[in-house]
Amino acid sequence: MDDIQKIKDENEKLKMMNENKSNLIFISAHQIRTSLSALKWILKMFSNKELGDINSEQKDYIEKAISSNERIISIVNNLLSLNHSDETCLTLNLKQVNFPNILEKIIFEFSGETKNKNINIVYNKAETLTPEIKCDEDMIIVVLQNLIENAIKYSFNDTTVTISLTNNSNSELEMSVHNQGIGIKDEDKMKIFDKFYRAKNAIEKDTNGSGFGLFSTKSIIEKHNGKIWFESSKEAGTTFFITLPIS
Amino acid sequence: MKKILIIEDDDFLLGLESKKINSSGYEVIFAQTGEDAMNKILEKDISIILLDLLLPNYDGFEILKKIRETEATKSIPVIIFSNLAEVKDRDKALALGATEVLIKSNFSLEEVIEHINKLVK
Repeated sequence: MDDIQKIKDENEKLKMMNENKSNLIFISAHQIRTSLSALKWILKMFSNKELGDINSEQKDYIEKAISSNERIISIVNNLLSLNHSDETCLTLNLKQVNFPNILEKIIFEFSGETKNKNINIVYNKAETLTPEIKCDEDMIIVVLQNLIENAIKYSFNDTTVTISLTNNSNSELEMSVHNQGIGIKDEDKMKIFDKFYRAKNAIEKDTNGSGFGLFSTKSIIEKHNGKIWFESSKEAGTTFFITLPIS
Repeated sequence: MKKILIIEDDDFLLGLESKKINSSGYEVIFAQTGEDAMNKILEKDISIILLDLLLPNYDGFEILKKIRETEATKSIPVIIFSNLAEVKDRDKALALGATEVLIKSNFSLEEVIEHINKLVK
């Protein structure tokens, strides 16, 4: 009996520690986001010349600072999602969600980026589809943002990104995101999901990536008992696939 | 000039938000606590409210609930503008009657003003 009580007490302690950790991360994230918001708005004011005239060199540096700040915001968002997916976390915030609805919202959010590069997004949704899955919506949003952002970022201008959604033969939800871009070289294929790894051609195309996006994407998908993989070649571009269980 | 009430406890962010919103043609009224906010909503003819969630004493959820329960204020559009970004926070705010929920770090002030303009017109 004493042993059972001891285990129960230890369990309570662990729960409390875990809660403290989550609270600390929550408070830190809020503070970091607040500072980043202020920086974002101030830089934009400079860039828009609301605080006085600036020359083209200054404008160029400010645009780089804006881009860098956006990258940090994205890293904070990824870290937060990953914190949720941490094995030590008690439970996922699972609920029934309509996956296509989330996906369509994210596609819409990227319309500015696609316009800048003249990229056409083609969205194919299977006519008969079981759209509801049980998932942590915050995390799935990060997955979709990462996959679609990467597809656009590493596409060539004036090309098409194709997003397809269907139920596969295992009755899972399967999504693919295909781009016509720089491709993933053979020597990078084994490491592409490693934390902080960035392929050389990816760095050349976009110096601002963190190497964290695909790592967190894979962690989140696996936490949901799903799978992620890709096919890529220099000629055909890259397709990322994810599957998620329906229930 | 239409009046917007900004409920924000961070002086620095409040200064930036006020400057930008004011230059877009709105009269800015501000409050940094829940009590002050409720007094100002009732005293002034407010067209729209920008509401932070983490505030001293009463948090933004409580203020939102109070706004929606008060006859004179229940139909004023309320944009939640916060860095609390989890879905549960967004869902809670929408369930309490928020008109929109925007995450500060994901929006430029220009975009926020676009949202305000749409709701006020």
